[in-house]
Amino acid sequence: MQCGTCSVICNLSPAEKPFPRKEMIWAGWGLKDKLLSDPDIWLCLQCGDCTTTCPRGVKPGDVLASLRNFSYLHYARPKFLAKLLSKPKYLPVVIAIPIIFILTIIYFAGTLTIPEGVVNYSKFFPHLYLNISFSILLFLMIIGMIKSIKVFQKDLKKNTAFKKHKNSLLRCFISAIKEILTHEKFNKCRYHKYRYYTHLMVFWGFIILLIVTIFAIIAVVFFEYPLSLWNPVKIASNFAAFLLFTGLTVMIYNRIVNKSFAGNSNYMDWVFLISIYLLVISGVFVQIARFQNWTIAYHLYTLHLVLDWFVIIYAPYTKFGHFIYRTIAMTYAKYVGRE
Amino acid sequence: MNKKTGVYICSGCEIGKCIDIDALANIAKNEYNTECCINHSFLCNDEGIGIIKKDIAEKKLDAVVIAACSSRVNTSEFSFENNVIIERVNLREQVVWCHPPNDEDTQMLAEDTLRMGIAKTMSILNPEPFIGENLSSDILVIGGGITGITSAIEAAKAGYKIYLVEKSDKLGGWANNLYKQLPQKYPYQQLENPIISDKISEIEKFNNIDIFTSSEIKEISGQPGMFEILISQNGKDKNFRAGSIVMATGWKPYDATKLTEFGYGRFKNIITNVEMEHLAKENNIIKPSDGKPVNSVLFIQCAGSRDNKHLPYCSNFCCGTSLKQAKYIRDFNAESSVFIIYKDIRTPGHYENFYKEIQNDEQIFLTKGDVVDISEENEELIVTVDNTLFDEQIQIKVDLIVLATGMTPANSEELNLNYRLGKGLPLLKYNFPDSHFICFPYETRRTGIYAAGALREPMDITSSIEDAAGATLKAIQCIEATKRGESVHPRSGDKSYPDLYLERCTDCKRCTEECPFGAYDETEKGTPLPNPNRCRRCGICLGACPERIINFSDFSINSISSMIKAVNIPDEFEEKPRVLVFVCENDAYPAFDMAGFKRLQYSAYVRIIPVRCIGSVNNVWISDALSQGFDGILQIGCKPGENYQCHFINGSELTEKRGENISETLEKMMLEPERIKTEFLEINEYHRIPEIINDYIEIIEDIGPNPFKEI
Repeated sequence: MQCGTCSVICNLSPAEKPFPRKEMIWAGWGLKDKLLSDPDIWLCLQCGDCTTTCPRGVKPGDVLASLRNFSYLHYARPKFLAKLLSKPKYLPVVIAIPIIFILTIIYFAGTLTIPEGVVNYSKFFPHLYLNISFSILLFLMIIGMIKSIKVFQKDLKKNTAFKKHKNSLLRCFISAIKEILTHEKFNKCRYHKYRYYTHLMVFWGFIILLIVTIFAIIAVVFFEYPLSLWNPVKIASNFAAFLLFTGLTVMIYNRIVNKSFAGNSNYMDWVFLISIYLLVISGVFVQIARFQNWTIAYHLYTLHLVLDWFVIIYAPYTKFGHFIYRTIAMTYAKYVGRE
Repeated sequence: MNKKTGVYICSGCEIGKCIDIDALANIAKNEYNTECCINHSFLCNDEGIGIIKKDIAEKKLDAVVIAACSSRVNTSEFSFENNVIIERVNLREQVVWCHPPNDEDTQMLAEDTLRMGIAKTMSILNPEPFIGENLSSDILVIGGGITGITSAIEAAKAGYKIYLVEKSDKLGGWANNLYKQLPQKYPYQQLENPIISDKISEIEKFNNIDIFTSSEIKEISGQPGMFEILISQNGKDKNFRAGSIVMATGWKPYDATKLTEFGYGRFKNIITNVEMEHLAKENNIIKPSDGKPVNSVLFIQCAGSRDNKHLPYCSNFCCGTSLKQAKYIRDFNAESSVFIIYKDIRTPGHYENFYKEIQNDEQIFLTKGDVVDISEENEELIVTVDNTLFDEQIQIKVDLIVLATGMTPANSEELNLNYRLGKGLPLLKYNFPDSHFICFPYETRRTGIYAAGALREPMDITSSIEDAAGATLKAIQCIEATKRGESVHPRSGDKSYPDLYLERCTDCKRCTEECPFGAYDETEKGTPLPNPNRCRRCGICLGACPERIINFSDFSINSISSMIKAVNIPDEFEEKPRVLVFVCENDAYPAFDMAGFKRLQYSAYVRIIPVRCIGSVNNVWISDALSQGFDGILQIGCKPGENYQCHFINGSELTEKRGENISETLEKMMLEPERIKTEFLEINEYHRIPEIINDYIEIIEDIGPNPFKEI
């Protein structure tokens, strides 16, 4: 209809060449190159303001979301991993990979039996093996990620629509990070405020857990494992788990019940959401199982590890990759003066 | 003539509280010696109306004067047997509601208003209708396209006999050329086969429709109810009589050879939407240059439309047609792609659903834009489009370009009217013959002839079908009103008609020229030949006639003059100026009533006389008023000009023209030109009334009193 309501209603859209109207027109004409090199699709936080107010029932929010999903596939290196993760029929394969991997390591560590006595996970999967193998995979993941970023950056530069380079790249990056930490932009969405709170919870839950995990890897030296429930590290991680669980529950609920504004969720959305949801739940149960000395504790621990690796190692190839692309696009947008 | 007149004064709605009712009653009794004069506190209730009815029956009243509210309200309450003259004196809206209560000037205004009402009653007659001989109830439908066929079917269903005249040798018109038609039924997403063949077979079932194909109109003369029609079918003359006429001669495509900026004529592969439809009808969408199949088509919307160089208007159908053609091009060839370059896509009503459906086709590309250049290279047309939705100039290579050209109306001269004012229908905005597109659709400026379909305004098949039904109802209404001797519109039900005292006619032709509806024919000498059934009863001829020989039985030179003379003019030492206000009954009078509803206050020095049209004001009234001692005269008519609101087309314009003559009259009388002023007021501009009146009173007070007061 070309009323432009979507671009007007959007609080995040810049005044010059605003989104999502131009993206909708490009999409209508099938201009794939323009869309993939467009940083604007990453500036959208999918609050649904445009979809809610569109008088024509067009869903610009959903279109941008699927463009982002398409980008994960397009920029992923190696590409086959992203392809595996994008189709339900490959789900057994992608689950099997971390399982086989973990079992193999445990086998080589020589601890492939359920230990007896008080539950102590390091008896099952010695910390040294765990940390080294995990770090190697993380390293590989980061290489893949850097490769993806390079292609993405090259595409962004190809985009000739925005040319005004006037800001320092570093300052832009710091400003983008600041925005991400405070979710300042997210708070500007008009109609569906819950998204701001839930994402803030999940985001900070992750950050805390990331810090705690790094700390835990180093802390092997200082603390005697397993840690007690009242250890500050444990308290922080449980708080993070609480944030994650609550935020994710609301997110999943709305995606199921309120499709009209939460948008249509596809397989990629669900893989990402469910995998972290299960990761959080299994993490909590692993902890309970340890204190309660449940016999299935080690099974739960294996499940938790599988999920953990699934989420972290596949990050650049799933929707989790948004943290990379968004950070870069936000920095770039600031860099070319799109604010 | 002495009439038995009863005067009834209502004191309800604040009237009794604001003015001295007894003084009013004394005027009726003493000055006019009326049969009776009764005050009542609630005249429009059963008791009040009962009293009037009883008096009419017992005292055998000829006329009742009801001094109460405006004639625009309580009309059904205050309606009595036909032979009683009813005059409404507007004490409520135009006296007590807009002037200070219990004030000397308000009282004088009320008294003069009553005097004018009684004086008018004394000088008018109840109209006797003109009913012609051998009135026909048959309808002539001109044009056998979708509109004409529908009109004939609708009228036939209503029980009328129809003569359908079609120029070509078969019915169907433009619709015959269609390959497909836009969706007519839910969910409005699929193209349909043209319905014209169904319509043609339907019309053949009616035995009260006489179809004349290969025929044209040789002459139409007469008036509604008595139109004499002469047609020529294959060279053979036939004649018959018809009551009214539906004109449905349709449209012509805009001449594409004028569209040089879009390369029409320069490149073979640029065609119009009409030519596209022909190609599709033959199932043969090919490039005209080499006959090769077409894989990509670009539509240029508004080609020559909404463009002051060509057609300044939107033709309404081209967007839908291009979407339709895009759809069937895609259906013919699944590999093809279609581009549509538009100013705006206009798909009114359900067609919006079809537009949405088209937007879902990923091989149909739409963008707003201006085509700035077309060139040819390797048998491909390269179109450069600027101001696109992409915010940049784009180039598109296509095999074929379709220009979506607009509609122009068919020539109404085909009517061959044997009228004083010409063979065809007068053309209005954009050369369409509709007389007033908001208030009176279908009406033309020739009474009894109704325009329908694309002749009236650009429209597609669906709208034409609706339009045909509307125009047919108007044609039927005209036949029935003519049988009763009543005016059709806008003064529906008016039985009066102009009565000419031809003995005194000087053959000046003012009436025959100025009648906006061509009601008058002429003898060779120039003597008017009135056709009462063509008349809309506006009185413009009455206003025009310098010999004052044109009168209606209830609206005449005499009736208004006697109203003017009924006003008591205070002498100049009282310093109470008097301004006579002629107001148009259609817009200005209701606006004055609204000013009353809103309790807007204005000077009580005005005396208001409603007239049928401001164009019906005869100069003699102005000189009467000036000799009577009125200090100024204000004429308030409707808005003239391009977006005129005059019910009678050009009453206000005529008033402006006649202003020159009036200045001469003033000069002769040695008076200031400011003593006469014309204002134009739209019906919703009641808020301007205090300003108009008070400013004018100020001007008059500045000039000083009319020197004729002393005489």
